Amino acid sequence: MAWLIKKVRQNNLPVTGFMWLYAILSVYPLIWMIFYSLKNNDEIFVTNPFGFPTHLRFENYSNAWSKYNVPVYFMNSVIVAGATVIGAIVLSVMFSYAAARLQWRLRGIAHTYIMIGMFIPIQVIMIPLAILVRDFHLANTYGALIVPYIAFNLSFTSIVFYGFFRSIPNELEESACIDGASIYRTFFSIMLPIIKPALATMVIFIFLNSWNEFTMAVILITKESLKTLPLGLLFFQGQFTTDWGAMGAAMTIASLPTVLIYMLFSEQVENALTVGSAVKG
Amino acid sequence: MKKFLGNKTAIAIFTLPALLLYTIMVFYPIMQTFFRSLYEWDGLTAGTFIWFDNYKNLFDDSVFYTSLYNGLIFAAIITVTQIGIASILAFVIADGVVKGRRLLRISYFIPVVLSITVVCQLWLSIYNGQYGLMNKLFEILGIHYQQDWLSSSKSAIIAVAFVNAWQYMGYHFALILAGVRSVPEQYMEAARIDGATKLQAIRKIMIPMMAETYKFCLVFAVTGGLNAFANMYIMTGGGPGTSTYTLTYLMYRSAFRVGEFGYGSAAAAMLVIECLLATLIINRLVARERITY
Repeated sequence: MAWLIKKVRQNNLPVTGFMWLYAILSVYPLIWMIFYSLKNNDEIFVTNPFGFPTHLRFENYSNAWSKYNVPVYFMNSVIVAGATVIGAIVLSVMFSYAAARLQWRLRGIAHTYIMIGMFIPIQVIMIPLAILVRDFHLANTYGALIVPYIAFNLSFTSIVFYGFFRSIPNELEESACIDGASIYRTFFSIMLPIIKPALATMVIFIFLNSWNEFTMAVILITKESLKTLPLGLLFFQGQFTTDWGAMGAAMTIASLPTVLIYMLFSEQVENALTVGSAVKG
Repeated sequence: MKKFLGNKTAIAIFTLPALLLYTIMVFYPIMQTFFRSLYEWDGLTAGTFIWFDNYKNLFDDSVFYTSLYNGLIFAAIITVTQIGIASILAFVIADGVVKGRRLLRISYFIPVVLSITVVCQLWLSIYNGQYGLMNKLFEILGIHYQQDWLSSSKSAIIAVAFVNAWQYMGYHFALILAGVRSVPEQYMEAARIDGATKLQAIRKIMIPMMAETYKFCLVFAVTGGLNAFANMYIMTGGGPGTSTYTLTYLMYRSAFRVGEFGYGSAAAAMLVIECLLATLIINRLVARERITY
């Protein structure tokens, strides 16, 4: 008995147990979703709610894809997330370069001004934003999401780039200047290549953000043909009982891009999402 | 060189697009929120200026107090569970004794990258009173605690808060783990040599040194809880009755369902004040001086 207790202590069994138990709690709902995306209603509700499907019903996926609007939602998500990534990166990298390296009187103020945006929760400005989108005739176009998404990613992205630009030694620009390169040339051929790692991180960050964004989308988009995946999937709520398998399949399809990105670049994704603490703290 | 870096045209080209977009889409709206909270306004016409009547009505509205209370409950639940569990997990992982650390880390973090709609739909089916996973689990374990988790006005807000707690725990885990890694090795080494146990060292040295990390986690969790909206929107629609309303939900309802944009703006303005207060209090309580090492 004493031997057993010692053994348990050495292996930290309770701690290890807790760690794996939480891991299961964390992942199981996702695995359960993938399981039931391959089952029929009978198996989901009665015969086999927890385990691996007895018969892999891939037709759920083709049903989800063809019967419901999943391809449309998916394409919309790709368009919105893609345009947001490009727009936000271009604007913020230019702004932060000027704020960090170029010499002008108001640069400190401009930098602080943009930084304030990080502390504004989108919920708080939803009403005026909805009115603005309407007045600019953006309502029910892709612009209704893309323009606010870009604006909302500017603050955070600029601040990360700002930090990177500040850490580059002055000599680089000096030699570029002496060699007769223009400021634009210096920016494109010298500065951008240096901050490539930060660019990659922020591309992932903005992509995940805009792919999953819900609050703005639900208020600004009502037209069925413009709905992104987080909105489109709400539609299944009404038809819960009819085809659970297809619903699971649609949700799996919606999660695939972000989960895949995380699997491939887990380190960068964690960095991307946690880099904010260093800036905000 | 001075001329090179002081190129006015270049500065304008580089900064104006971002500044303009930010001003129109972020800064102007926040001003509008406060301004419009003083109006009776339907979102279409010019509206009438009514001073602080919207706020007066808000303070007379019982739903406002429900929303405030729910925001606090939501914030409290997610703060305690997320930061509590994330700390334990991060300290154990950083300790390096447990096997399979990479797999564990991925497991903890994966819900963070899922869409909130997917997560809420999943938990709707888990909570479901008739065929939900939760009740089935109790059945297997032989516990008679089956119920319809989301239709009781007492348990609904707690059930919804746990979904958020579950989804974003991994985010706090990653933050705290990064915090642990940034504390230099020699401090823990010194504690070990002085005969401190691991727990003592973590409590007396590690956690105080990570004040900045914890401050950020606290601000993030508390303001996130006060702002909660998507979870309610998808899972309960504010119900049963108004039992899962939060301030954001109240704002959404008043403006986009009932058409009282001024009243909604007042709710949003209260939310700003609430979040600001929370941030100030947290900054006051945690880390009065910055620790450098």
